[in-house]
Amino acid sequence: MREALAFFSAPLLWPQLTLASGLLCCLASGMSRGVTGAASRTLGVVSLLVALWMLLFTGRGPGGPLVSLDGLGAAWQILFNVGALPVFLSLDEDDEVPASLLLGVCLGAGLLAASASLLMVFIGLELLSLPAYLLVARLPSASAPPHEASVKYFFSGALASCLFLLGMAFHYASSGSLALAPAPGIMGAAGLALMGSAALFKLGAAPFHFWLPDVYESSAPALAGFLSTSVKSAALFLLMRLASLGPDSALSAALPWIGALTALYGSLLALRQVRLQRLFAYSSVSHAGIMVLGVGAWAAQGCDPAAAAPLFFYGLVYLCMSNGAFLFIRLSGLSQRGDAAGYGTMRAAPAALFAVLLLSLAGIPPTGGFLAKLLIFWEAVKAGLYLPVAVAALASLVGLGYYLGLIRDMYFDEPKWRSPETETGAVPVLLWVCAAGAALLGVLPWVLKSYLERLFL
Amino acid sequence: MTGFALIFALLLVGASVAAFTAAGWLLGPRPEHEGDAELPYETGVRPASEPGWGLAALYWRYAVLFVAFDVDLALLLPWALNRPVLDLNLMVSVTLFVGLLGFMLLYFWRKGTLECR
Repeated sequence: MREALAFFSAPLLWPQLTLASGLLCCLASGMSRGVTGAASRTLGVVSLLVALWMLLFTGRGPGGPLVSLDGLGAAWQILFNVGALPVFLSLDEDDEVPASLLLGVCLGAGLLAASASLLMVFIGLELLSLPAYLLVARLPSASAPPHEASVKYFFSGALASCLFLLGMAFHYASSGSLALAPAPGIMGAAGLALMGSAALFKLGAAPFHFWLPDVYESSAPALAGFLSTSVKSAALFLLMRLASLGPDSALSAALPWIGALTALYGSLLALRQVRLQRLFAYSSVSHAGIMVLGVGAWAAQGCDPAAAAPLFFYGLVYLCMSNGAFLFIRLSGLSQRGDAAGYGTMRAAPAALFAVLLLSLAGIPPTGGFLAKLLIFWEAVKAGLYLPVAVAALASLVGLGYYLGLIRDMYFDEPKWRSPETETGAVPVLLWVCAAGAALLGVLPWVLKSYLERLFL
Repeated sequence: MTGFALIFALLLVGASVAAFTAAGWLLGPRPEHEGDAELPYETGVRPASEPGWGLAALYWRYAVLFVAFDVDLALLLPWALNRPVLDLNLMVSVTLFVGLLGFMLLYFWRKGTLECR
């Protein structure tokens, strides 16, 4: 209890404190009558950027019984915060509620990244999830039935929380402590498996993916991009933390196969989708599978924090690709897969950017998506996981069917309808940035090197 | 008893309870539904409405607000009882905590959540 003040003054938590103050300022701005949503958006973006900047000189190491920050936690906070920028910049609500909820999600993810105890992990996980359920209800897509997806998300999330709590109880029963440390015996392994399935739930890995397509389809496109990048990378981080508690546990041994089968399942189901947002939801399931395979390979090699760089790179490239694809849906107003026919002849620039993003999602060289996938597969091969890699590669091959199919539709089909006028403002710029990121990370990955080295230290 | 044996024993107990419940339903006589037989209690005051009616969101707001502020008492009560022996650190953090609660109350008040309609 005496550490209470030290807890707040610890430089470790400065980014989180920045986000919390931003959140309070957002709510306060909503209390005065004349202030619009633009003020809260600006507050949100500024606090995210300041939090990112602070990450450079927050300390590393333990900060009391609940909090500790290592290079991995610091690096993943970049993913959470950068992944949230597009949705902030493309909000057009006139009140402060969405911006506050988004900051709440980022704050929860930040606490998750800096936790040294399962209690703190759980608090972070809940703080991350509860605003996300509300956001799905608050920012629905145009055709969504009201609140249905949000309620589905809530119930499946509640189930995941229950699994996590049960796992925590087993962990405590086995080790007598809630610290993030290995727990011995069969109870410890069972606890780890239960907590791991909660993380897989949040990540949307098969067979825990059933809520995901409905939720992504019914959210506004920019929000779906946020859920598939920031929120998913938080779940991925949790899975990595849990896997590093037991690199040779049953959970870690199952991860490569769960990942490979998820990748295949997501790809196969995406083939059949008619609605674009649902297609990209299944594509996101498939990419989550490759990330899980990466965690499995990382665990099989002993969970060395420095060896997590391929996973971080995959997260960063996927951040560009997924946010970009969903922003394109928002920008173009396309909802059905057939609507894309002839889009390339009508709107050349967005179509070209979308084509770059699709090539990267499909993993065609020399894009970032190719390099990211290659690094993960390489790690898995080094760990001797030949069969899971073969299955995941098959999944990528199936993925070509719908990614390249969309490109063919855009450029080689006759337009069937007039697309609406594209909007101006932040969204086209963000689309450019995302496509450039997805393309350039493949050819110039070393631009990140010095920044990342400073962070991982 | 090892962990697995315990789990299997619990599973066995659960399965047998389920089996007996199912057997009673399958083999036993079917009840004849007449009068108040379908009500949870056959005697007493008849229920005023169906149990599955929707609660207005207005009511939920009060309920959630009540729970949020009620649970905090569980923290504040031990603090109040131990106040004489607490140090400055803890006093400041509790003040911060109460300040946050007060801020949220102010927010709900300004948003009109507390108005009676």
